[in-house]
Amino acid sequence: MRLLALALRRFLWMPPTLLGLTLIVFSVSHVIPSDPARVLAGENASIEQVETLRRKFGLDQPLPVQFVRYVSDVVGGNMGISLYTQRPVATDLIERLPATFELALFAIALAIMLGLPLGVVSALMRNSWLDQIVRLVTIGGLAMAAFWLAILLQLLFSMQWNLTPVQGRIDGWGPDPITGFYTVDALIRGDLDTFLTALRYLFLPMMTLAIPAMATIVRFTRAGVLNVMNSPFVFYQAAMGLPRRVVIWKYILRAALIGTLTQIGLVFGNLLAGAVVVETVFSWPGLGTYAYNSILQSDYNAIMGFTLFTGSVFIGMNLLVDIAQAVLDPRGR
Amino acid sequence: MSQDFTQPISRRGALAGASTLALLPAAAAQAAGRTRYITSNNNPYDILDPHQVFDIGRIAIRLNMYDALVRWVDNPAKLEMWLAEKVDISPDGLVYTFTLRPNVKFHDGTALTADDVVWSMERILTLRKGAYGLFSDVVKPGTTKAIDARTVRFTLAKPFAVFMAVLSELWVVNSKIVKSHDKDNDWGAEWLTRNEAGSGGYRLKRFDPAIGFQAERFEGHFMPFGKGAIDDADFRVTMETATRVLGMIKSEFTTTDGYMPAEQVERMKASGNVWFKEAESIRTFYFIINSAKTPLNDVNMRRALSCMFDYDGFNNNILGGTVVRNPGIIPNPMWGAPAGLKGYTYDIDKAKHYLSLVKEKIRPLQIGAMSGYPQSEQAAQMLQAGAAKAGLEIKIVAEPYTTLAAKLDDPERAHDLIPLWRSAYFADPHNWTGFIFHSRNFKAGNASFYKNARIDELTDQALLITDQEKRRPLYEEASRILLDDAAGIFINNTKFYGPYGKAVKSVRFCPIGDTQDLRWIEMNT
Repeated sequence: MRLLALALRRFLWMPPTLLGLTLIVFSVSHVIPSDPARVLAGENASIEQVETLRRKFGLDQPLPVQFVRYVSDVVGGNMGISLYTQRPVATDLIERLPATFELALFAIALAIMLGLPLGVVSALMRNSWLDQIVRLVTIGGLAMAAFWLAILLQLLFSMQWNLTPVQGRIDGWGPDPITGFYTVDALIRGDLDTFLTALRYLFLPMMTLAIPAMATIVRFTRAGVLNVMNSPFVFYQAAMGLPRRVVIWKYILRAALIGTLTQIGLVFGNLLAGAVVVETVFSWPGLGTYAYNSILQSDYNAIMGFTLFTGSVFIGMNLLVDIAQAVLDPRGR
Repeated sequence: MSQDFTQPISRRGALAGASTLALLPAAAAQAAGRTRYITSNNNPYDILDPHQVFDIGRIAIRLNMYDALVRWVDNPAKLEMWLAEKVDISPDGLVYTFTLRPNVKFHDGTALTADDVVWSMERILTLRKGAYGLFSDVVKPGTTKAIDARTVRFTLAKPFAVFMAVLSELWVVNSKIVKSHDKDNDWGAEWLTRNEAGSGGYRLKRFDPAIGFQAERFEGHFMPFGKGAIDDADFRVTMETATRVLGMIKSEFTTTDGYMPAEQVERMKASGNVWFKEAESIRTFYFIINSAKTPLNDVNMRRALSCMFDYDGFNNNILGGTVVRNPGIIPNPMWGAPAGLKGYTYDIDKAKHYLSLVKEKIRPLQIGAMSGYPQSEQAAQMLQAGAAKAGLEIKIVAEPYTTLAAKLDDPERAHDLIPLWRSAYFADPHNWTGFIFHSRNFKAGNASFYKNARIDELTDQALLITDQEKRRPLYEEASRILLDDAAGIFINNTKFYGPYGKAVKSVRFCPIGDTQDLRWIEMNT
């Protein structure tokens, strides 16, 4: 019951948070002098042509009017028409969603699978050579710019070792969509070749996103484990004669995971935002490349749509994290 | 999501082909005996409608899936009859009567008739997008008539010498199909953004706005294909230059854009996997000078600026000789460019002399460079360095084109100088003179707010005459005046360095669309 109340409370905060986010992004994107109607019309366009487009997209209205109109449209389920693609923004986002989600899910899964055990081992072997190496790698992972890391991986895996393609999501065109996740669709069809091909294409962008994410998870897991290891209940469990691995992986890890879990939620949101750079470098046809093109073209509706979507995912992830924390830690309920 | 072209004749084959190709790597597709040509572009192919866009980036859609009455070919660009087999122009230059070729078919097998041409023109005039600006002054709604199935007549509101040239942008759509997808009187606009209804040499197989499109050769096209013509073509977006270059080196792409920075060209050459088609294009690089502001409204100030730019240093050292010095605004290979035109040279003493003649108080200037375009930013720095030697302070602000463009409606907000390119939309000197320097075009082409009664007169006069040889001296004079008046800082004409994979045997370059017209490319299987 308390969990339900917690979820409801968080859920009620969603609309005002999104409204605030919308206001900030709207103000920032409109305060930069830009003329999407002029860009859309092209350099050979007449004044009349540009004016027609301004009227059509409501760009001739005062900013407060444009904002109120936008918010009321979004509430009504309409995110507007993309100035550049000329299609509903919601349609554009939905079409590109599976590509980005597939990439982000694979990246976060890899980051967790590697990050958690490495964090635990690093804490248990504190100040050992292994701990030092892990520390070096994680600091490097956090410090490296995604753009640079992406190119480095391309040069190494694609050009030097010829193991992966340089770019793209698959060679040519993906399988007819069931879920839109190429790997999942290939498995549903029992098509192992396409599944493996999709994995090869996924590898480099996934690694680029996963390495910094993994670094965060390692750091927080290590800190959490070190903190919990000195707790009285751990001494008690050890004094009771429980095997060391049970104490570590069942009791210490569970308590240490609370902080890490919060970070995993935030990291997943960051993966979606970070996809803008990674997808652009790897020519991955997802939300990130859409956002990148929208920014280049000052496509206000598309920028707002992407931001609202990413914001919603952040909020949704925070909600899930809060619930998970409450489950793991009864004091939070 | 990807979308299949839904015309009845092609559907089954297209679906079968698409699903097969989706599962086969490139090598396997080629092993099946079909050639596959993959273009990687830095511009999204997200709208297929030929009447809603008018840009260079997405020209492959129009060139390959649609036909117009006329078409540009070769270099220097020649206008050839295409859908039309002949044209009669009335002596007053107002009435153009075209006879269409017989037996031209759309991709669904129906005949292309004069009604389709008329409907396509009316659609452009109604949607007011894309190439509308080229026609709006001279073609009024309802004035284009189908005389019979193969004869179409345009009656212009006033003589317009470049009408034939701009007709290359009247892409003819299958009116029956598009009409059947009309939604709320939108002239099929929503449907045609994601589908195709043309007669061009290639027809749509698959389309995904996030990726690009795939097309296959249309064997029913009226113009026979050469031996080695491409069977299947993919056009994909890859925004990142480094990725496009790596993709070329690794043979993931067959070609990419031909205006890469010099160091990237060298990188591809060194790989041994790429060969280059080199050609002088018609794309001039120059500084827009905001002539509405003081002291830039003084010719001596503009001349001084023209003497502060190190043309040789920029063209030969920074750009590694990948461009050609172009002393005037009209590209060298274009008719109307005066022979033997002597441009300004880098001469700081002369710049100081001109500065001493400026009547208004000289203030620090600002260059608005296009961010993301290294050449634009490098040119800005080059001028800044020259100006500093002459004692003139110049500040550089790098902004995206959308931000620069937003300021061009108001001379007070517009930057003092902007380094950019003037691309070729149609091969006529009007594109580089009347369009960008006639005072009628303030806020719509004339971004320098330049006003000169003689330029207005010459370019207006040239639009009234249809005989190219009579127009030539008018543009030559206009070009000389613009240079003498330093209406801009005219720097270079671009060279096209098209990179191609080894499987490509030959390409035919045309500065309108570069080599994106697949018909003229030959490949080994």
